[in-house]
Amino acid sequence: ANMKIELCSYSGYKIYPGHGKRIVKVDGRVFQFLNGKCEASHKMKRNPREINWTVLYRRKHKKGNLEEIAKKRTRRTTKFTRAVTGLSLAEIQAKRNQKPEVRKAQREQAIRAAKEKQKAKDALKKQQKTQASRTSQPKVKPTMKGGAATKPRVGGKR
Amino acid sequence: NSKIGRNAKQSGRPVKVINVYKKPPVGRLGDKVLVTIEHEKKKAYIVGCKQRQQTLVPKFDSNNVVLVDDNGQPLGTRIRAPIPSCLRANTDPNFVKILSLATTFV
Repeated sequence: ANMKIELCSYSGYKIYPGHGKRIVKVDGRVFQFLNGKCEASHKMKRNPREINWTVLYRRKHKKGNLEEIAKKRTRRTTKFTRAVTGLSLAEIQAKRNQKPEVRKAQREQAIRAAKEKQKAKDALKKQQKTQASRTSQPKVKPTMKGGAATKPRVGGKR
Repeated sequence: NSKIGRNAKQSGRPVKVINVYKKPPVGRLGDKVLVTIEHEKKKAYIVGCKQRQQTLVPKFDSNNVVLVDDNGQPLGTRIRAPIPSCLRANTDPNFVKILSLATTFV
């Protein structure tokens, strides 16, 4: 014999062996009833969700501590490194595992390089400026005049 | 789901037990009975009783029967209705065949 503790199909209580009744309906559905009270209610076609003492009602109306326990088990998304198009997984890991001194040294290098670059840029700019200021003024005017003259003519002809 | 069974269900003619192969001729779960169905006489085994049962035996809302031929071979190929698992204890070879056809046990 099956010594399985079943649940009452109506009230939701546990049915220990030796208690209750099991009924098979004409359509083949099986119901377990804890006692005559459950069975009678079912026969009267009372919906267990409207009957205060049943588990179904309590669940529907959220009575008791069931919900709290369920909500506490929040899911934690597992983080894991993935290879990106630019870097393969090995490269990402290598970068991550770099020692801080190494990183610092790298940073300093980068800063120095950037500064050099900037200096070079500035120097270039200064050179260009001085050159331009000497030769640009006479050049600028005639081009402007010519351009200004040609444009409205085209519009007028149309 | 034998042909006769299906016909009977369609035509709505209830199956009637006319004889019970037992000493006090009261048919209970697992008993062999003679049954009229669709103007024919067939043998059958009772697998579901409306009668109040012992504690661990389920009660059915309808009296169910599995049609069987004279040799004891079940006529259909499958039994849809749930069959009480207390019948599994029957080592009667014919019963074993019926149980093997069953899809759900109660």
